[in-house]
Amino acid sequence: MIHRHSILLIFIISVLATIAFFVAPGLQQKAGIAAPATVYNRSEVTSGIEKPCSNEHPDWRPAQVIEGVTVDAAPSCDPDNPYDIATSVKGTNNVSMATLMQTNLAQDALTMTDDLDHDGDPDVIHIKLEVVELNGASPDGEFLINTFDIAPGIQPGLWVYAPKSRGMALKNFNSVVANPLLRAPSPVIRVEQGDKVYITLENTHYLPHTIHLHGVDHPWLTAKGEDNDGMEEHAVFPGKSHTYEIQPRHAGTMLYHCHVQTAQHFMMGLSGLFIVEENQPDNWVQTFNIGAGQVRHPSVAVKKSYSQEYDLHYQSVDKNLAQIIQNANDPRLIAQQMARDYNMTESFENYFMLNGRSFPYTLRDGMIIAEENENIKLHIANLQRSSIALHLHGHKATVTALDGVDQPAGLQVTRDVFDIAPAQRTDVLLQTKNNGLNSYGPGLWMFHDHVPTGTTTDGMEPGGNIAILAYKSYLDEQGMPKMHDELFDQVFSKDYYAKKVAVWGFGDFAPLLGDAGLIAPNYLQIIIFGLVAGLIIGLLVFSVLVYKRKQQQ
Amino acid sequence: MKVLLIGLIMLGVIEPASAMNHGGMLMDEKGMIMNANSDNLPRDCTKISENVDITIRAGQKHALKFPGKMFAFDQQQWDVKPCAKINITFINDDQIRHQLMIHGLPGYLYPEGMFHLELYGEGQLQASLIMPSQKKTYLVHCEVPQHMEKGMKAQIKVDGGDGDLPSIPGISAPVKADIYPVDWSQLTTAVLLLSVLVGCAVLFFVIINARSIKDIFQKMLAKLNIKQSSK
Repeated sequence: MIHRHSILLIFIISVLATIAFFVAPGLQQKAGIAAPATVYNRSEVTSGIEKPCSNEHPDWRPAQVIEGVTVDAAPSCDPDNPYDIATSVKGTNNVSMATLMQTNLAQDALTMTDDLDHDGDPDVIHIKLEVVELNGASPDGEFLINTFDIAPGIQPGLWVYAPKSRGMALKNFNSVVANPLLRAPSPVIRVEQGDKVYITLENTHYLPHTIHLHGVDHPWLTAKGEDNDGMEEHAVFPGKSHTYEIQPRHAGTMLYHCHVQTAQHFMMGLSGLFIVEENQPDNWVQTFNIGAGQVRHPSVAVKKSYSQEYDLHYQSVDKNLAQIIQNANDPRLIAQQMARDYNMTESFENYFMLNGRSFPYTLRDGMIIAEENENIKLHIANLQRSSIALHLHGHKATVTALDGVDQPAGLQVTRDVFDIAPAQRTDVLLQTKNNGLNSYGPGLWMFHDHVPTGTTTDGMEPGGNIAILAYKSYLDEQGMPKMHDELFDQVFSKDYYAKKVAVWGFGDFAPLLGDAGLIAPNYLQIIIFGLVAGLIIGLLVFSVLVYKRKQQQ
Repeated sequence: MKVLLIGLIMLGVIEPASAMNHGGMLMDEKGMIMNANSDNLPRDCTKISENVDITIRAGQKHALKFPGKMFAFDQQQWDVKPCAKINITFINDDQIRHQLMIHGLPGYLYPEGMFHLELYGEGQLQASLIMPSQKKTYLVHCEVPQHMEKGMKAQIKVDGGDGDLPSIPGISAPVKADIYPVDWSQLTTAVLLLSVLVGCAVLFFVIINARSIKDIFQKMLAKLNIKQSSK
C-alpha cells in the first residue's frame, strides 16, 4: 500500500514540477510580436537640468584696464576674474585695497619687488601656495564640503595647490560650494626668466606635501642648504611651510607637482603648469592663471608673435582613489587607504578634465575662442596618468616647443594629432588662417583627446575633455556656442551623467531610439506558477508527516 | 558677500582707526579682523555683565591629544554669562593660515552673524565682541578647507548654552563617524565561544530542572498572593 502511494505521490509531484518549470515567470522575458513601447523618461528627470551658462559676471568679459594692467577680453561664459589677473600681474603688495578685496587672495599671497636689472619690471617674486581639498568629507553629515563640480553632478575628491587666500573658503554662507579661487586645476604659475622667485608651500592640508619644480631650472639646495627639489624625504608636514628658491635661466613651459606619494598625490590633482617667460623689458607677467585657459595678460615676448595665449591642462581622476578622502575623516585612515590599501597598478582613469572641467562644463571656461587669421599660442600639458592624443577638428597646428625647449625650424611639425606622454608639454602655434591646411574656416570645431576613454565621463559620452575651438561669430552674447540648444538640454543634466537618460531620447527619433519599456507581468502565469509551487511544497510536507506517523506506529 | 566686503573695506579705508570699534574690517599683511565689537551692546543687554579675557591658540600641535584629528584649538569650550564681553587673544602656533570664526551672532551688530579673526601665519591678534543675553551655543571654527573637519572646532556657551554642537573634539560625537576595525583576538573568540556554551548550558539547566524551577516560581507566587491578601 505504502509503496503504491509513494509511487503515485512521486508521479504527481513530477507532473506538477514539470508544469511549474514551463510556467515559471522570469525577471527577463522574450518579447512576442510587439516589443515593449518606448518610455519617455525626460519629463521625470528635468529637475536635473541646469542653465548652460549662469552668466554670473558679464562685466568680467570685456577688455579692461585695472591698476594700469590691461586685461584682454574673454568672451566665454565664465571668464576669469579681471581683478585676480590685475593682482596676479602687479602683486598683492602693489594693488589698492579695493582691488584686492575683489579677489580672494591673501595680502601676502604674491609680493613683487626690486627691479634688479632696471628693465621696468619687478624681479624678486614671492609666491605663496596652500593645499586645498575640494569635495572633501565632513564629520557633520552626509555631504561634501568645498565642492567643485567637474561636470553635472560629478564631484570627485580633489587636491589642488591654490594661491594663498583669505576669508571664507565657501562661495557664500548658504552653500558648500568652494569660492572661485579654490578650483581645479592647480593654477598656472608664470615667472620671468632670471627673476629671483621664492615659492613658499604653506601646507594647510592634513597630509604632507612638497613642490617639485619639474623641468624648471633650480639648484638642488636652497641658499641655506635646505631641500629645493621637493623630494619625498623632505616633506612639508601639516601646519608647516617651506620656501623653494629659483632663478631660472631657461624659458619654457614646465611643471610643478607634489613629490610625496607621487603617484597618488599627482592623480589627486597636485600638479600644474609652471611657465618661465622670456626676459623682456617692462615685462609684467601674469603670475597666476586661475583655472588655466586663456591668458588675459600675455607676456611681452608672446604678444610679439601671437594674438592670444591659452594654457591647456589635461588631467584624469580615478574615482576609487578620489573617493578615499570622501569616505573617511581620520587622516590616519585616509593615509592608510591611500598609501597601502589602494593599488595604483590596479587602477583606472574614470574622469578626464581639461582645465579642471569635463564636457559640457568645458564650454563655460575651457574653450579656445578665435577669429580668422589669428596666431594663437597653446601651452599643452599632459598631467593625466595615461598618454593623450590631442586632436583638433578642422585645423592642423604646429609644434613650436617640446618640454619647454624650442624646436628648431626644421623640426616644427604641423599635424592634427599631438601625442603627449604623461608630464610632457607641447607648445603649439594654432593658426586660424582659412587655407585648407591650418584651418578649414570658421566653425565650432571640437578638440579632444582621441584616446577613446578621454571623451567620456566615467564611460558616458559626450564627456571627458571634449572642448570647442569656437570662432566668435558662432558664439552668443553669453559666450556659449550657438546651434547647440538640444544638446545642452541633454548634457547639462546630472541625470545624463548618472546614466538615467536615453542618449537619443528626444526629438523626432525619440520613439525609435528612446528607452525600451518593460514587459507587463503575466499575472495568470504567475498565479498558476504560485499555486503549483505551493501544491508541491504542501504535498511534500504532508507526505513527510504521514511517513513519520507511520513509522511511530 | 562681495558687496558686503567692499562696504566693509570702505569703512576700513575711510576710518581705519575707528574701524575696529565700529565693526567692519581691518586687514594687513599679517591677517585680518572682521566685525570686532567692543562697545555696542546687543539690544537685549542693558550693560556688560562681565569681562572675559580668553586666549585661544590654534595649531596642529593642539590636535595631538585627539586621535584622528590634525588641527585644533587649545580649548574646545568657553562658558560665559549673558551679555559678557569677550576679549580674545588669538594666537597662531603654525606656519600657515588659521581663522577663528564665531557664527550665529545677531546680524545687526555682526554682519552675516559672524565675528572673524584670521592670521596668515605665526602671530597673534586681539579683538573683542559682546555676546547677547540669549541662552545659546555658538560655533567657533577655522574655515580653511578641512580644518574644522579635521578638528578645529569649538563652542562658546552663553548662559550654559543650548546643547553641544556635533563633532567637537573631546566633547561631542560626529554625525558621520569613521569606522575602525575591532581588535579581535583569539581571547575575544574564546570569550564568545565560552559565552555560547554557557548560554546552551543555561537552557539545559532550565529543562532538566524544569519541575523544581516551576515549584520555586509557584512558591514565590503563593508568597506574593499571601502578602497581597494580608494587605
